Amino acid sequence: MSPSFTPSVVIERVERDVDRAIRRGRNGLRYAAGMHRPKVGQSPKAVVWRRHKTELWRYRSSDVRFAPPVLIVHSLVSRSYVLDLYPGNSAVAFLLGSGLDVFLLDWGVADEADAGNTLESYADDAIPDAVAAARRAAGSDEVTLLGYCFGGVLSLLTCARHPELPIRNLVLMATPVDFNGMQAITALVREGRLGPDDIIEPTGNVPPEVVEGAFRMLKPTSEISQYATLWENLWNDEYMEGYQAMGQWTRDHVPFPGAAFRQTVEQLVRRNALMEGTLELGGEPVDLSTIRCPVLNVLAERDHIVPLPAAEPVPRLVGSEEASELRLPAGHVGLVAGRAAAKITLPGIAGWITDHSNRV
Amino acid sequence: MAAKPRWRQVFDAVDRRVAGPVEAGTRSDAFGDLVAVSWRLSRRVQQEMERRSRRALHLLNLPTATDVRRLSEQVAALRRELRELQDRRP
Repeated sequence: MSPSFTPSVVIERVERDVDRAIRRGRNGLRYAAGMHRPKVGQSPKAVVWRRHKTELWRYRSSDVRFAPPVLIVHSLVSRSYVLDLYPGNSAVAFLLGSGLDVFLLDWGVADEADAGNTLESYADDAIPDAVAAARRAAGSDEVTLLGYCFGGVLSLLTCARHPELPIRNLVLMATPVDFNGMQAITALVREGRLGPDDIIEPTGNVPPEVVEGAFRMLKPTSEISQYATLWENLWNDEYMEGYQAMGQWTRDHVPFPGAAFRQTVEQLVRRNALMEGTLELGGEPVDLSTIRCPVLNVLAERDHIVPLPAAEPVPRLVGSEEASELRLPAGHVGLVAGRAAAKITLPGIAGWITDHSNRV
Repeated sequence: MAAKPRWRQVFDAVDRRVAGPVEAGTRSDAFGDLVAVSWRLSRRVQQEMERRSRRALHLLNLPTATDVRRLSEQVAALRRELRELQDRRP
């Protein structure tokens, strides 16, 4: 008899399969009924500054070992809780654990009243004021600005337009600057098949379904393979927690303010203005070479939303003497969430920040 | 690491063959044209439906989605003015 078919091995396998079948049934029912949704964004925090829907959160930590504080600027089209999914899968918790003082700028959910928000509203008003509020709250002279995805674009614009701001370091994660490199997601508007006004709905904003649809179109079959992976791991409680949290986030986009969307399409996408150096905000040219602080450009090698060619040119555009690049074997979201984030990506990012910070 | 079940291996093999061409298809000019035309068409159909139902509902003196939208636009304009006043406050 082969050792893999001894009675004890067979019994063990049957027991395992029965156990998994029970768990699969239970988790499947819970998933179908929408029960046991993981609570996301649970790290303790306090609102330290607020303007309209925008809030600046400071995460609680009794172990701050480095200064200046890190101010995270999130994207305009998704929810910021992807950075703090749940205990054990939280970029914010990782940075706190690295001894950093973490602030997060959350834009809330745009509605009709926010439809007129332009890129200037963020780069000239909200972010500079949030920097001031974070400095006040932390008692620090400077901040490290960390922008994720479109939040990285806003951070770049802020630093370029306000060189007087005390930004010690700038970290950009999966930040598009060469919009020609984002062919797939921008093709419809770039080539004029659709104009901004075709997409903006009567509320004055781009509806979240459009944003979600654009992301889905990048990998149309991925949803089916995700369901296959779900079925394969339905018995696994830990997997289910992650799947549900991530699934909730990917279906939870927010409206993109119409005025900022128009500028994004007309300047960043159609004229590729960040690369061409022709971007104008508030009637003035934006020159990224005025950015002098140390810059870390974090690239996700498997990013299908912001592919490498779209994010790679950052060091060539800024005027910093130190502009480094950190390439990580991850996807767009895998930079900040999931097992690989905790093991590979976040240690690299936190390490760079602490190396460029002071011990307190 | 445990081997993948047989059904998953088959699924992955099919997925590898199908995903590439489907993605290439969604990136093609023809698909882009199709999406743009369907988008405009659906908007036009929606506008036409709204126009017709508006006429019927107004005959019965009932408010329509367009009326509600106009009201919410007015509320949004008021909120924006309020914000400006708040921002100007020292």
